[in-house]
Amino acid sequence: MARLIRTEKEVEGRFEEVWLVVEEDPLTQWPDGPLSVVGRDALRQDALERVRGEARFTADIQLPGMLHTAVLRSPHAHARVKKIDLAPALALPGVHAALAPGDAKGLEGEPGYCGAAVAAVAADTFGQARRAVAAIAVEWEVLEAVLDPHEAVRREQFTMPSSTYERGDFAKALESADVVIESTYRTSVVLHNSMETHQSVCEWVGDTLNVYISTQYIWGVRSAVAAELGIPGDKVRVVCEYMGGGFGSKNDPGEYTFVAAELAKRTGRPVRCALTRREENTAAGNRNLTIQKLTVGARSDGTIIALGGEFINGVGWSGWSAMTDGPMQMLYACDNVRTVRHGAKINMPPMKAFRAPGFVEGTFGLECLIDELAVKLELDPLELRRKNYANANDDTPYSSKNLMECYDLARKHWDRRDEVRARSTGTWKHGVGMASQIWFGGGGPPSYAWTRVSSDGRVTVVTAMQDIGTGTRTAMAQIAAEELGVSLDRVTVVLGDSARGPYATLSAGSSTTPSVGPAVRAAAADAKRQIIEIAAQRYDVEEHVLDIKDDVLTSADGNVSTTLEQLLEILENSQILGKGGRGPNPAGMSVLTFGVQVVEVAVDVETGEVRVERVAAAHDVGRIINSLGARSQVEGGIIQGIGHTLFEQRLHDPETGRILTTSLDAYRMPTIADIPEIVCEFVDKPDAHLTNLGSKGLGEPPIVPLAAAVANAIRDATGADVHELPITREEMLRALEAAKKKERRGAPAAV
Amino acid sequence: MPELSLTVNEHRYEVEAPIEMSLAHVLREVVGLTGTKIACNEGHCGACTVQVDGMPTLSCITLAHTVSGEITTIEGLRDHPLIDAFVRADAVQCGFCTPGQVVSAAALVAANPSPTIDDIRHTMAGNICRCGTYPRIEEAILHWRD
Amino acid sequence: MELLRPSSLDDLNGGLMIHGGTEVVPLLRDGILKADTLVDIRGIVPRGVKGNRIGVGTTLAELEGSTAIPEALREACRLAASPQLRNMSSIGGNLLQSTRCWYWRLKYPCHLHGGDRCHAREGEHREHAIFANDYCASAHPSDVAAALLALDARLHTTKRELPIADLYRLPDEADRHVTTLEPGEVILELELPAVEASVYLKAMDRQRWAFPQVGVAAARVAGEVRLGLAGVAPIPWLLTGPEALDAATPLPRTAWKVDVARALVRRALDRL
Repeated sequence: MARLIRTEKEVEGRFEEVWLVVEEDPLTQWPDGPLSVVGRDALRQDALERVRGEARFTADIQLPGMLHTAVLRSPHAHARVKKIDLAPALALPGVHAALAPGDAKGLEGEPGYCGAAVAAVAADTFGQARRAVAAIAVEWEVLEAVLDPHEAVRREQFTMPSSTYERGDFAKALESADVVIESTYRTSVVLHNSMETHQSVCEWVGDTLNVYISTQYIWGVRSAVAAELGIPGDKVRVVCEYMGGGFGSKNDPGEYTFVAAELAKRTGRPVRCALTRREENTAAGNRNLTIQKLTVGARSDGTIIALGGEFINGVGWSGWSAMTDGPMQMLYACDNVRTVRHGAKINMPPMKAFRAPGFVEGTFGLECLIDELAVKLELDPLELRRKNYANANDDTPYSSKNLMECYDLARKHWDRRDEVRARSTGTWKHGVGMASQIWFGGGGPPSYAWTRVSSDGRVTVVTAMQDIGTGTRTAMAQIAAEELGVSLDRVTVVLGDSARGPYATLSAGSSTTPSVGPAVRAAAADAKRQIIEIAAQRYDVEEHVLDIKDDVLTSADGNVSTTLEQLLEILENSQILGKGGRGPNPAGMSVLTFGVQVVEVAVDVETGEVRVERVAAAHDVGRIINSLGARSQVEGGIIQGIGHTLFEQRLHDPETGRILTTSLDAYRMPTIADIPEIVCEFVDKPDAHLTNLGSKGLGEPPIVPLAAAVANAIRDATGADVHELPITREEMLRALEAAKKKERRGAPAAV
Repeated sequence: MPELSLTVNEHRYEVEAPIEMSLAHVLREVVGLTGTKIACNEGHCGACTVQVDGMPTLSCITLAHTVSGEITTIEGLRDHPLIDAFVRADAVQCGFCTPGQVVSAAALVAANPSPTIDDIRHTMAGNICRCGTYPRIEEAILHWRD
Repeated sequence: MELLRPSSLDDLNGGLMIHGGTEVVPLLRDGILKADTLVDIRGIVPRGVKGNRIGVGTTLAELEGSTAIPEALREACRLAASPQLRNMSSIGGNLLQSTRCWYWRLKYPCHLHGGDRCHAREGEHREHAIFANDYCASAHPSDVAAALLALDARLHTTKRELPIADLYRLPDEADRHVTTLEPGEVILELELPAVEASVYLKAMDRQRWAFPQVGVAAARVAGEVRLGLAGVAPIPWLLTGPEALDAATPLPRTAWKVDVARALVRRALDRL
């Protein structure tokens, strides 16, 4: 039965109170541990077509008569279009239509950052469109731009109200602390750089708009486009069968979709609007910069009694201020916490969610601070963390928390410290560091799935979700196969088309598996119930004695034993249909993910070169569905984290606010030569309170602790405190020099 | 438009394309082989890698008219043992860079059937995978003949 | 646009010369280079290593595996760019590549583009020069040029023979070019002296596929030790000795490069 509840909904650390229609979730969880299919390694169902280049991405959609779009972007960080003349563009060969500010959502008459979309042209080829855009004459009134987040804070120029959090009495507790450490940490802007840039192809068919788009949320695109165009949602069909990465940047339709839709309307042709790599690295979102002034007060035995932080997010011209303060509020048992978080509105490109937004940055600051405390108190960093273990999220109980088990799994890696340090020779210093991880990842309702079981005993799962590359098809197939008692190769998952399946949530916030997975299980259970009802009638036995396992339906006494094909052949071309929905999250509980990473580094103290040599990760995300895919997620998060930690950095011209690192020679991401040995372990214990699966998401957790663990390993190796990401040679050499000075003043540089 | 003759995966194509058109563009939009991807379009990421006479080449910054050698794209490698090796090693996430990875890897194992990890890291460093499937790509290449 | 494929050097008559295309094609697309005629010179310039001579058409990939060339050059080729770029790029093209300065690549009207200022000096310059950076702060990205400078290579062009040091010039108000190559002049061969020992060390942020933050080539040639540096000046930089680093004029955010250069120079000399 559908149930209406009022609940708090979380996406990427953002909460809102909403009314939700949820399904009952009557299924009991499966027993712990690996099952027949779930919890085991499964090869990707769509690996072959992706590897062979047959998977059709949005970038590969070529429709007859399709036009290409180029976008005019603001050359100023803040300006007003006084006059714009599209006529010179329209006069050029191949040009079919042009849009001025206001003609489509996202084309701005008063752009607030260098690179903001202003106008657009559709032409037969992209080259023609680009030349036409260059011909558009714009008269600008240049306005004052604020690029410095401190200046924005001084002016109280925010993208959303600042957030203050307090529990206990931070100031008073700090006074009674035996030791106090204050440190400032900075993280730089980093760019998603999905291999497939943001793009869509829009095509009107009758009164319906087909939108082919590289997106993390086909239903979000559908509603946003329908609302913008003033047409019913069912007149917008959104298709994303395969997409080339998103990492949080593709949750919205973006101006390119509105532009393509409008140009398609005006020209009567299909229109592609695809960002170039350079546009991608300017205007498609970013992980914003942060400045974190942090304070910790502790007793000499290591009990943390006060934590405080002032966080500035350099959000950009729009966007939200992610929970940089979250880890400080949530990771440790500390009675007195005070945080203030500002979202500085600056004339720079807007942020977008990027793999655990806020928590990646906040964990870097907090977990470095904790290790600085450990050094000062001469305590083992792991023991310090265990000592301050939190048993509730503020006053709210956890639905499940196995961070202590993660610490136990990490112990053997942590115990390699002496051996690793002993490798230091000459200018190369080796060390080990760790950091903990906390993040959301529980998902939530609603999401739905259908199942079809055919007479040949094959199963199709239909759900209008999207696979952003995490292996969603495979995980969903495993869940359906497990529930139905069939082998994995019998299950096909159809997704990626809003016209051809029920609603499913966005693929962001590590929510895909915990949100859609339970719906798939419920839909499979619904089909299974019907199969058993049919069998009970056909073989004249009670339903409860029947079960399906390994593709065979049997009765408890063994008298009935039939393959699914034998049983279902009577269906001929018809099918058994099941449907299922995602049940509610546990009321009054915090659903969170946890983990710890232990990192080994080598630092060349003369040249500032840092090499990450080994990362051991232990994560607690409830039940693991696909152990192979899960390891791949952890590796991917760690590798992306290495980029953020060591060299990725968006740079801009301080005068104009123009992004300088738009090409991939200047914005450098890890290559295969940069990867360390990665060891990855899971607690793999279902969250007993969370849905019929007990699974949480894993897309984001692995990237959260990496940077701090690297920085802490660097401190272990060299005694130097790095305070800034990325840890370039410049930052590393600065930190080494500061450590030398500290040593000269008599303070020990390292324990 | 100038005429152009290309040999792609042992088929001969006679097409028309302007001099400034890249090989990647001709392959994808003129010849219709979309397995070759364009991700940066300026030679920095390797997604567009094809082989020209067996040599991994960035098709996005190669002018089609300057190519006289034989071109092999991912479509010409669909039966290569590396395909199965990549699937077995789960060396794919989003898959957008993967065809380019396979094309580079195929050239590597042709020249050096038993590459070491160092060989792989040196030779595959021009193919960026933002999802971070590198450990699995390494494994797929190490065990490509298994 | 037209594409010519001349059959001999004598047929050359203007146009923009293209070999591997890895630099020319992106710059054409960005409008930094302009041409109505492209001249594919792959068929007419020498390729391969013969004795102490290297044809400019030889690719970096061919050289990184060659035992016939000094270690510094081999290593510079091995650590240059990406595997695909090394397959495509000729050594001649590598010597003539432009700076990676983002202002220049984004067509800011800077000194090198004929404008009236260096945007990097006042702006974002953390990957820029520590020597000769008052007019233009760009850093020359060629690993290979640094190696050839240390090796004291000579160039043979269609017009002259010159030491590689003379190929490069610092840009100034009167002439914004960073090479002395004349219009229509083509480099044909590189000639190496007898080299007793050589080494190339490169600081990058990634382990592979990055332009040099600092590249240091050291060679002992006819008893004399020579040092060539990449990534430290608008042109490949001949360092007279380790102490010459004391004369560096780093910008606020390039001071770190001096430290890195100091360490690499010391190591390179130790390794000789």
